[in-house]
Amino acid sequence: MLWPLRKSPTWNEINYWALDLETSGLEASDQILSVGMVPIRGGVIEFGAHYYSLVRPVRPGALSVEGIRAHHILPNELEAAPPLAQVLEEITQRIGRDVLVLHCGSIDLGFLRQSHKALGRRWVRPVVVDTAVLLARLDERRRQLEPHSKPHPSGLRAARAQLGLPPHLEHHALWDALATAELFLALRHRLQARTLHQLI
Amino acid sequence: MFQPSQHNSAVNPLDFIRAHAPFNLLPAEALEQVERGLEIAFFPKNSKVLARHGSKSQHLYMIRKGTARLERDGQTMMYLEEGEVFGYPSLISQGTPAFDVIAEEDLLIYRWSEQVFRELKRHQPFAEFFTKGLAARLRLVAQQEGLAVSPIDLSLPVSELVTRPPVFIARNATVQEAAKAMREHQISSILVEGNPLGILTDRDLRNRVLAEGKGPQTPLADVMSTPAKTLPASTPLFEALTFMVHQSIHHLPLEQDGRIVGVVTDTVFMRQQARSPLHLLRRLERTRNPEDLKGYSQELSGIAESLLAGGLGASEIGRSVSSLNDHLVRTLLRLAEECLGPPPTPYAWIVFGSEGRMEQALLTDQDNALIYAEDSPEAQRYFAELAGFVVGGLIQAGFPPCPGGYMATRWCKPIAEWQKLFLHWVKMPTPQELLEAQIFFDFRSVHGELPLEPLERIVATSGEETIFLAHLAKASLHFRPPIGLFRRIREEDGGVDIKKGGIAPIVSLARVHALEAGSLAKGTVERLKIAAQENKLSPEGAETLIEAFGFLMRIRLRQQLTNLRQKLPPDNKIRLEQLSSLERRHLKEAFLQVREMQEAMSQRFHTDRLG
Repeated sequence: MLWPLRKSPTWNEINYWALDLETSGLEASDQILSVGMVPIRGGVIEFGAHYYSLVRPVRPGALSVEGIRAHHILPNELEAAPPLAQVLEEITQRIGRDVLVLHCGSIDLGFLRQSHKALGRRWVRPVVVDTAVLLARLDERRRQLEPHSKPHPSGLRAARAQLGLPPHLEHHALWDALATAELFLALRHRLQARTLHQLI
Repeated sequence: MFQPSQHNSAVNPLDFIRAHAPFNLLPAEALEQVERGLEIAFFPKNSKVLARHGSKSQHLYMIRKGTARLERDGQTMMYLEEGEVFGYPSLISQGTPAFDVIAEEDLLIYRWSEQVFRELKRHQPFAEFFTKGLAARLRLVAQQEGLAVSPIDLSLPVSELVTRPPVFIARNATVQEAAKAMREHQISSILVEGNPLGILTDRDLRNRVLAEGKGPQTPLADVMSTPAKTLPASTPLFEALTFMVHQSIHHLPLEQDGRIVGVVTDTVFMRQQARSPLHLLRRLERTRNPEDLKGYSQELSGIAESLLAGGLGASEIGRSVSSLNDHLVRTLLRLAEECLGPPPTPYAWIVFGSEGRMEQALLTDQDNALIYAEDSPEAQRYFAELAGFVVGGLIQAGFPPCPGGYMATRWCKPIAEWQKLFLHWVKMPTPQELLEAQIFFDFRSVHGELPLEPLERIVATSGEETIFLAHLAKASLHFRPPIGLFRRIREEDGGVDIKKGGIAPIVSLARVHALEAGSLAKGTVERLKIAAQENKLSPEGAETLIEAFGFLMRIRLRQQLTNLRQKLPPDNKIRLEQLSSLERRHLKEAFLQVREMQEAMSQRFHTDRLG
C-alpha cells in the first residue's frame, strides 16, 4: 500500500493501535472471544486510553469450555458481553485512519475481515505493522553481519524476553496487545526505523 | 503487609505499580486514576530521559524494566532500579533537573503527567513520600507496618486502663481495717493517705504481716510501702509496663494534676495482652533453681513478637527485652547469694555492649563482667563461683556464651584494676585494643552495692583525650555500610549483614560523639540527641541517624523473629528480596547516610593520620 504523501511521515508522528484478539481457535469457523487495543501516540503508549471487551458469542453452542478457559474467561461473562457487531464498531471507530500494530497479524486480520463479512459490514484493511515481520527483518539484518546467528524466536513472550522486556500475562487480549505495543517500541529502535515506510 | 516485588513473574502493570512505593501508599480508589493516567515509554540504552539544566521534568517516572543512571558532570552518582521513581524533584520545584538521567540499559518506563501527579498528591501519605526528608519517610514505613496488625495500642496513656476511682485509708488505721476496706471494695491494694503517699497490697498482707507473725492490730504505717511509686496518668502503656517490671511492683498509682486518679494492677495488663512481659517477670520471681529457666528465651521472643505486632518501635522493644534480661540476672545473683552466702566485699555486676545500651535484640551473646571492692584470695574465690553460677544460669536460659569471651567468668576484677584498665584505654589507646574495648564504655550496673563513680569519672572525661577520641573514631569506621560502587547495596553470602553494615556503625558513631560531649548516656538514640544538643553533630544528621537506627533495628528484629518461627538461628542477615521495594530503598538511603556520617567523622578526627 502506498502512503498518500510523497514522503513517508516520521514514525512517531503517526498514531498506532496495538491490537490483539483472543479466539476460540484458529479455524475460520472459530469465534472472537475478546479484543484488546492500546494506542501509541507520539511514540508513547497511552495505556489509559486502552479498549478491552469480551464478545458475546454468535454460536455459543460451538464453544468448548477448555478453549474459553485458556483465556481466563468464564462462560457466563461471555453471555453478558456486548454483541460482535457492537464490538466491531468500537474497534473500527478507534482505528480510523491510524496504523494497526499486530503480532503475527494475518490471523487477527483474517478474523476481523471474516467477522465483518459475516455481519455484512464494510471492512477496509488498515495499514499494518507486524512485529513478527519486524523481528524477521532484524534477524535478516543480523545474518548479514553474523551468518550463523540464531534467529529470534517468533512467539510474543520469547521475543520480548530476547529484547529484554519483562514477562507479561499471556493469552489475555489486553495484556497481549500491550505486550505487542512495547515490543513494537523496542523493535523500532533496534531497526533504527525513522519513517513509517521503514516499518511496514 | 507489603507485597513482595515480582521481578521474575508475569504481572500486569497496575499490580506492578501498586506493589512499589509510593503507589502502595495510595487508597484503592485512587488506583483508577493511576491506570487512566499511565503512559509507557521506551528509552534505548544510553539515551537521556532527563537532562541536567535541561527543560523541567514533565512527568513522574517509574522504572518498569532496566536500570537508569543519575549523572552529574559525567560522574555517576546513583543507579535507579526497577520499581524506583524519579523526575519528581524537578516536577515539584518547577526547576531544571539536578541530574542527567540516562538509560544504563534499555528502559521500559511507566510515567504520569504533571496533572495526574498533582491530583494523586491530594492523598496525604503519597504526597508525604515526595516532600519529606529521609527521616520522615522512614517513619512512614514504620507506620505502614504498624497498621498491618494491631492487637493493642501500647502507646495509649496508661490511664485508659483505670476502671474505678482510687480507694484511700487513713494513715493511722490498722492492717485489719485496711484488709476490711479491701474486701469491701474488692481490690487488691489500697492507698494510704498522707504525704508521702503509701500503698498496701495483698502481697504485703501476706508477706509482711501473716508471714512475720504480726497481728491484726499492727499499725498500717509499719508495713505499707512508702513513698509509693507513681507515674503520670498520661504515661504510655508500654512505659508503665516497663516501669512496673523494672521496679518489681504489681500496683501502680497514677497521678494527674497533683492527685491520684486511679491504680492499675498488672492483672489488667495480663488481660490486655496474653504474652505480657509481666508474665515472664512473675516467672522469674518464682525461679528457685537455674533449671527453672529453660524456655526463657522462647518466652522472651514471644513477648518481643507481640510487642512488635502491637506497633512498638524497635527501641522500646529493646528496652523491654533488656529490662527483662536485667531481671533475669538479678534473679540469678539472688539465687547465687543464697547459695554462696553474702559477698565478702561489695560488688557490681555490669553489662555492656547492646545490653548496656538497653538495645538488645532477641538473643545476644552475653556481655557481662564483675567488679568488686577489696581484693583478697577469699574475694577472688567467692566471685569466681558467683560468676560461674550466673553465667551458667544464663546459658540455661538460652543465652549463648560470648565468643569473644567477655563474660564475668573471665572479667572479674577488683575496682582498682578496672580503673587502671579504663585509664590505659583512655590515656594510651592502641587501635586493636580499642576496637575490642569500645563496648566497655557502654557499661551499666545491673546489680550490687558497689558504687562505680571512679569508672564513670574516667568515662565522663575521656572526651578531653583527643588521641583517644581519634582512635575510637577510627575503630568506629571498622565496619562500613555494604554500599558498592555506584551506590548499590552489596549482598554477600546470600544477604546483607545489617548489624555490621548499619547498626554497629551508628552505635559507634553515637558513642564517639557522646563521649566527646562528656556524656555518660548509654543508649544510642539518647547519645545522638545529646551530641546534637552539644553541637558535636548537626540536628538533621542526628535525626536522620536516629530514624535510620530505628528502621534498621526494626527490620532486624522482624527478621530474627521470622527466623525463630522457622526454627532457624536468629542472625543479622537480611535478604533484599524479602524487603518491600520501599524498604529496600530506605535501606539504601540509610546506608548512604551512615557512610556520609562516617566520612564526616573521619575528616573531623583525622583518622587517616593514625597508623
